[in-house]
Amino acid sequence: MKVQYKPKRNLLETIFQVEILQGMALTLRKLFSPPITRQYPLEKPPMYPGFRGQHALVRDAVTNDSKCIGCMRCATVCPSRCIHIQYHDDENGKRYVDEYSIEALRCVFCAYCVEVCPVGAITMTEVFEYSDYDRDAIYFNKGALLENWDKFIEGTGYDESYVNPFWRPRGVNASTLPAAQRKSVPADWTIEGQFVGTKVRQEQETEDMAPMEESNV
Amino acid sequence: MGLKLNRGQILMTETTTLDVPVSQGDEDKYLLKLGPQHPATHGVLRVDIELDGETIIDCDPQVGYLHRGFEKLAEHRTYAQNIVLTDRLDYIAAMANNVGYCEAVEKLLAIDVPDRAKYLRVMVCEMSRLTGHLLWLATHALDIGAMTVFLYAFRERETLLELFAELCGSRLTTTYTRLGGVRQDVTHELMRKLEKFVDEFPACIEEYETLIDTNRIWLKRTIGVGTISGEKAVDLCLTGASLRGSGVDYDVRKHMPYAAYDKLDFEIPLGETGDTYARYRCRMEEMRQSNFILRQCIEQLPPGPIVGDDAPDLVMPAKPGRKVEVDTPARKALIKLIDDRDVYMEGDVYVATEVPKGELGFYFISDGMGRPYRMHIRSPSFIHIGALATMGKGVMVADLIAIIGTLDVVLGECDR
Repeated sequence: MKVQYKPKRNLLETIFQVEILQGMALTLRKLFSPPITRQYPLEKPPMYPGFRGQHALVRDAVTNDSKCIGCMRCATVCPSRCIHIQYHDDENGKRYVDEYSIEALRCVFCAYCVEVCPVGAITMTEVFEYSDYDRDAIYFNKGALLENWDKFIEGTGYDESYVNPFWRPRGVNASTLPAAQRKSVPADWTIEGQFVGTKVRQEQETEDMAPMEESNV
Repeated sequence: MGLKLNRGQILMTETTTLDVPVSQGDEDKYLLKLGPQHPATHGVLRVDIELDGETIIDCDPQVGYLHRGFEKLAEHRTYAQNIVLTDRLDYIAAMANNVGYCEAVEKLLAIDVPDRAKYLRVMVCEMSRLTGHLLWLATHALDIGAMTVFLYAFRERETLLELFAELCGSRLTTTYTRLGGVRQDVTHELMRKLEKFVDEFPACIEEYETLIDTNRIWLKRTIGVGTISGEKAVDLCLTGASLRGSGVDYDVRKHMPYAAYDKLDFEIPLGETGDTYARYRCRMEEMRQSNFILRQCIEQLPPGPIVGDDAPDLVMPAKPGRKVEVDTPARKALIKLIDDRDVYMEGDVYVATEVPKGELGFYFISDGMGRPYRMHIRSPSFIHIGALATMGKGVMVADLIAIIGTLDVVLGECDR
């Protein structure tokens, strides 16, 4: 396909600067359209579930502690290697997580840790304004991560049934997930309720309708 | 003082030790280092130009200010971890890099991608092509002096970036694909917004064209500037719209289709004259075609899972855990390797994809471990900057800025 050029301007258009006036008319029209600028510090941007913001460890309502089981999957998958976990096993083989820290300044915010966590213990919240003059304040240890969760729950109005989209990726077969991640989710997160192309949907509907019509006849 | 200053010596004072190399015996020549902090060089590109008056007689682009060693870093990370590095290559169209990387690794590991994931990949690729082209149009027009287009183009780019944020949680560093599929499915809400955007976008392209398409200043600054013939463009390995502006019909999407491009209907716009205006027209038409592809994706998106059954776990190679059906020789070899040594396939692979800038290729050598033995990135920006040395000779300084703009370089991808 050859690209099309607009015809060359003629003498009259050259003299009266028609194309300049057309451009000016456009900008003049835009003068009366509503502004699209978002006054950021006063007006917050819209947030969507699954925003990759500040890290948090989910506080378990029963134990009042983290859900982390110390499986080290997040520390293994982390591309920037910024997750450090210390644990000890007792004589029965039960594992206790002593310390869980994230160097948020090294983090690349890929949410791989959230995706691989088998129990949904770590999450990335919708908080993104946490810059500080002190580096140590952005080195999150276990206490700080649990506090981040409390702040997130308080600030956004989510409750204990919060499900992060990376715990249970939309459109993934739930049977492949560990039991702790098979929580109830909105309908369009599942394969059954997913968005299907408009034409494909029409074809499906006509196919579904056809046997019904036959049966009616 | 009685000191006679010639042109070219004007920078040399008694206190400076800066040695401005001026060719001996020709006092009219002047060496100027344009950049790396010059706003019109689109990042940290430095161009050493030798001037005669205002005409450039020698042009020597210097790169490497943004070098982060991605190719070496990749040798120490698993295939899944390297996806986050590709976000930072061409950071204004990260989705296209993610897709290019995953297509290459999937070929190496013989992984199948479900149809729905293929369509989603095409969809995000075209969205990122629009963001890339809109940013190109905005900055290119700003370099040449059209301020308003910049504001209008960023308006639409913002809409697309918010869609990215809704889809995968991040505006720029998307990390959207994963080996064997994509990470998140679309929602009904998101597709409604995308459909609204697709309906409105052609009118927005009309707006940009009203402003600059026939504007006499724009025409004077672009027609006949940076002209390059088809043969020369092929010699210089140009790809993307920079090549198609010269009339060479080469587009990876059409000629080596990947993902779902072979099922979609679109055309490759070709210029004739090979100058800056032809490349501008090509990219504007490409935006229309991208919009058309997006509409087809909305119509044809098939149902199904978004990750293949044989996709490797994110925590690889520690836990392959794949269910592989034995049907092809490649898969037989793969199973053998997994059973024998818990490792991945040996060999090398090169896969090219079409990103907004041109042909982005990933070349892997695998020695069978879970990490690439060597990863080479054929980045279009690097090769386009190489062409700048040829195209920048004999033009004015102001035209050089237009040529840098029209080649559409991103230094993150060039220096990688």
